[in-house]
Amino acid sequence: MSTKDDEYDYLFKVVLIGDSGVGKSNLLSRFTRNEFNLESKSTIGVEFATRSIQVDGKTIKAQIWDTAGQERYRAITAAYYRGAVGALLVYDIAKHLTYENVERWLRELRDHADQVNIVIMLVGNKSDLRHLRAVTTEEAKAFAERNGLSFIETSALDSTNVDLAFQNILTEIYRIVSQKQIRDPPEGDTIRPQNVEPIDVKPTMNTDGVRKQCCQ
Amino acid sequence: MDGENDKSSFWKKNVKTVPGRPSPKRDGKTSSKGKTPTSTSFQDFQASVSDAWDMDDDEFCVISGLENTKISKRVSQSAAINVLNTHRCTTEVESPPEEQVTTDKQLLPNCDNSAKVNRIPGRPKQLHCLNPPQEEDSESKLERFLTLLENPPSLQELCKLSWSGIPVKVRGITWRLLSGYLPINIERRDGVLERKRKDYWTLVEKYYYTEHDETNRDIQHQINIDVPRMNPSIPLFQQKTVQLMFERILFIWSIRHPASGYVQGINDLVTPFYVVFLQEFIPDSSSFETFNVTELTEDQRKIIEADSFWCLSKFLDGIQDNYVFAQIGIQKKVLQLEELIKRVDEPLHRHLKQHNVCYLQFSFRWLNNLLTRELPLRCTIRLWDTYLAENDSFATFQLYVCAAFLLYWKEDLLQEHDFQGLLLLLQNLPTQSWTSSQVSVLVAEAYKLKVMFADAPNHLQSNSGDS
Repeated sequence: MSTKDDEYDYLFKVVLIGDSGVGKSNLLSRFTRNEFNLESKSTIGVEFATRSIQVDGKTIKAQIWDTAGQERYRAITAAYYRGAVGALLVYDIAKHLTYENVERWLRELRDHADQVNIVIMLVGNKSDLRHLRAVTTEEAKAFAERNGLSFIETSALDSTNVDLAFQNILTEIYRIVSQKQIRDPPEGDTIRPQNVEPIDVKPTMNTDGVRKQCCQ
Repeated sequence: MDGENDKSSFWKKNVKTVPGRPSPKRDGKTSSKGKTPTSTSFQDFQASVSDAWDMDDDEFCVISGLENTKISKRVSQSAAINVLNTHRCTTEVESPPEEQVTTDKQLLPNCDNSAKVNRIPGRPKQLHCLNPPQEEDSESKLERFLTLLENPPSLQELCKLSWSGIPVKVRGITWRLLSGYLPINIERRDGVLERKRKDYWTLVEKYYYTEHDETNRDIQHQINIDVPRMNPSIPLFQQKTVQLMFERILFIWSIRHPASGYVQGINDLVTPFYVVFLQEFIPDSSSFETFNVTELTEDQRKIIEADSFWCLSKFLDGIQDNYVFAQIGIQKKVLQLEELIKRVDEPLHRHLKQHNVCYLQFSFRWLNNLLTRELPLRCTIRLWDTYLAENDSFATFQLYVCAAFLLYWKEDLLQEHDFQGLLLLLQNLPTQSWTSSQVSVLVAEAYKLKVMFADAPNHLQSNSGDS
C-alpha cells in the first residue's frame, strides 16, 4: 500500500440512516462536496463518499455510507452497518412520521451494528422549513437524551450545522477511541474500527481546497 | 496506453496481434481516456476480429486474462460463428467510422468540465439535451423493419433484427410486439390494444382513485417521494402531468404485484417505455427531453400511459425475484457476477478483492435499476432494444451485460489503487457521452460471455487441463 494515501490518523466508518426523503444524500453531498440538489435521485442500495477533518491536530478520515430509506432495502443496507462506529439517524423536521420511525431505525441499528460503543446522533434535517415544522426541537432533544443519543438540527439546503454535525460525531468517536487507547491496550479496543477494511482513502472533492496529491 | 487502445473489447492482454482480438491498427482510432470513445460499432469489432479463425495450427486459443485457461477451439469457433451470423444478418454498415469520429469530436467542445464532474478526472460533461443520430436509425435498417412489420412478422425474425438496435420510427410498435403486449396477428391488434387500454383505465378508476388501505398508503407515499426526483436533469419529468402518469402506472403495477410491491428504482424502469411511446406522438422525436406533454391530446396521453404500464408489466415479469423480500434475485446475480469475473478476468477480480471492494457495493444498483442509473437515457433505450429482443432470457442476459460493463472499465479500475478510488469510480462511471455504439459493443461482449458460459458452464476450465 502506498504511504501517500495513508495520510490519516484515524479512519471512522459512519452510516447515514433514516426514512426515505429526509435528506440523507444531501447531507452527505453537502458535507463531502458542498453540493445540494433540490431533487436528487433516490439512493439505490448504498452510496459512498469520504471526507477528512482535523481534530486535536489529528487527521480523521470519515468513510460515510449513505443508505436507501425504503424498507425493502434493509436486508442489503444492514450489511453496511458492520464496522460502523458512528451513525447519523436522520428525520425530517417537517414530517412527523419520519420522526416517529426513529425508534424503528434505532432498533434496526442496535440489531445489526457490531460495534458496542457505536455513537449515534439524531439529526433533524430541513431546519430551513420553519413554517412547516412538525417536530419541536425540545421534543426531539428530550427523546435523544432519554436514548443516549447526541442531537442536532441541520439544513443541507442552507448548510446550517451540516459540518458541525459531522464534526461533532467524529470528535465524539475520536474522544472515545483515544480515551480507550489510554485505558486499554489497542488490541482490546471495541470502538477502533478494526472491522473496517484497512483502506487507503484520499479526499474526494475537497471543499477546503487542500487537495492531496494521489499517485502520479 | 496499450490498455486504452482496445476499450471495446476484453481481448486486451497483449499488444501483439492475436487472432480474434481487434487488431491494433483499428484501435489506433480509439480516443484516449476521458474523451468520447470513437466508433466502436459491432461492425468495426467484427471486421477487426475477422482473422480470428484463419489459423489452423492452434488447437487452443488463449482467453483474456487467463493465460492458462484453455477453451476448445471447436466450441469457441462455433460460438463465435453464431455471434457473427446473428449480427451479420441483422446489422449493416450504416456510416463510415470516420463520420462517427467527427460527430463525437463535434460533441467534445461541449464537454468543458464543471466542478461537479471534475470529481472523476476525465469525466466528460453531461450531454443531456444532445441526442446524436443513433446508428440503428439508418435508412436501410428502417426499410428492413418496415418490410418485416408489413405482414405478421415471425417473432424470431423480429428479435434477430431488433437485437442490434431498433430505428426510432418503429421502436414503439416493435417494443409492443417484443414484450408480448401486442399480438403478432395483425387482425387481432386493434381489438387487443383497445381492450387492454380500457382495462388499465378501469384499474386506475377502481384502485387509484379510491380509499387506500395502510399498505397501499405506504406504497403511494413512497411513489410520491420518488417520482418527483427522478431524472432531475430532464425537464420532461419535472412536469406535473408526467409525474401523475408515472404515479398511476407505478401504483397500479405495485398493487398487482403484492409479493414485491413498489421498490425504489422501478420508477426508473418505466422511463424508457414512456419515452418510446411518447416519441410516437412527437414530430421531432429527438426533442422529447423538453417536450410539453400538455400539447398532446388526452387520448394520446392515455395511450402512452396504458401502453407503458402493460409493457413494464410484461418486462418485469422475468425479473420479479429482484424485488421481492430480501431481493434474492439480485443477491444471487451479484454472486454470479463475481463468479463470472473471477473466471474471465482473474487479475481484475483480484484487484477488486485486494482493495476490499465487494461486488454488492457497486453491482446492486446496476442490477436493481438495469443500468438505468449508469447510462444516459438514450443508451438505456438502445440497451432495451436488445433486452426486449432477448425475450424471456433477458433476466440472464442482464448478468452478462453487467459483466461486460465492468470489464469495459478494467483499465481505469486497474489504475485506482485504493478502496475509495475504486468505489467512487464504480459508482460514478463516466458514460455521459456514450452513444449507441458503446451499447452495441457492450451487448456484443455480453453475448460472447453468454455463449461461453450460459449453456456450457464447464467448458471453460480454470486449469490448463484438456478441454
